[in-house]
Amino acid sequence: MKDKENKHHVVSYSENFGTWVGLILLTILTVTVSVVNANLITLTVVTALLIASTKAILVAYWYMHLKFDKKIYRIMLGVTMTLFTSFMILTIIDYITR
Amino acid sequence: MKHLVLPNSGHNYDSEAFKLGMWLFLFTEILLFGGLFIVYFVYRNLNGEAFLHASYELDVTIGTINTIILITSSMTVAMSITAIQKNNKKLALGLLWLTLFFALAFLVNKYFEWGAKIDHGLFPGMEHYLHLPPGEKLFFFLYYFMTGLHAVHIIVGGIFIGFVMKRIKDNEVTDEKFTILENSGLYWHLVDLIWIYLFPLFYLIN
Repeated sequence: MKDKENKHHVVSYSENFGTWVGLILLTILTVTVSVVNANLITLTVVTALLIASTKAILVAYWYMHLKFDKKIYRIMLGVTMTLFTSFMILTIIDYITR
Repeated sequence: MKHLVLPNSGHNYDSEAFKLGMWLFLFTEILLFGGLFIVYFVYRNLNGEAFLHASYELDVTIGTINTIILITSSMTVAMSITAIQKNNKKLALGLLWLTLFFALAFLVNKYFEWGAKIDHGLFPGMEHYLHLPPGEKLFFFLYYFMTGLHAVHIIVGGIFIGFVMKRIKDNEVTDEKFTILENSGLYWHLVDLIWIYLFPLFYLIN
């Protein structure tokens, strides 16, 4: 029964809209930091990636329904992202230690 | 009388497997773009100054508008799934039309953005491009390749959504059986996700 409920979880329109508001606010934040305060705060790669990743989590959890789907999807995405992040970190370590 | 469905008779419908398959495909997409992002980071590391200088050539306004367009189109797809679950076929179709409209708007912006650069000879092989320092050439090469590949995904996603709309019209996608709509949504959100990373990395970092 619980499984059936999970499968047919309906994300409300307001939840979808709320996610949109969050995404827009983060976009405004990242653009503002970059453009308006160009001389005060510089948008570093790390800050940009942190904001982008927050947006990515919002999209994946709410729009892609990971929050409501079976756990297996979250595990699989976790494995893929861990794999990719290790490629990335290994490559970066290689280049910064030359 | 009980209706028997034999395994592999073509009548079985497994929404969970359908969706799992879509996710597996999305993982290959993540690794495809992921590889390109690694290339970007390596060359950025080697040509920091040139990348910075070249990134000033990009139009932040158009980039921001396109970001907002894609985020909004993601919302309309997500809402169309809600609409179909609530058996509101008309609203679902309307929201998907809106998504297609946003996809087109994104591509039109991209056309003008690329067009302005190509007019200035800023395209691999053109006059202005050939006189750039090597680091800036790399930046623009990656910019065209990655945003171009992304634009191809927008077109494919639009076709996929159009195909699903036809199925909704034919009542083949209903509140009981809507996995294909979810899958087209997943693809669309992935395209949005990639843009979420492309935008700051190419347009914003200073």
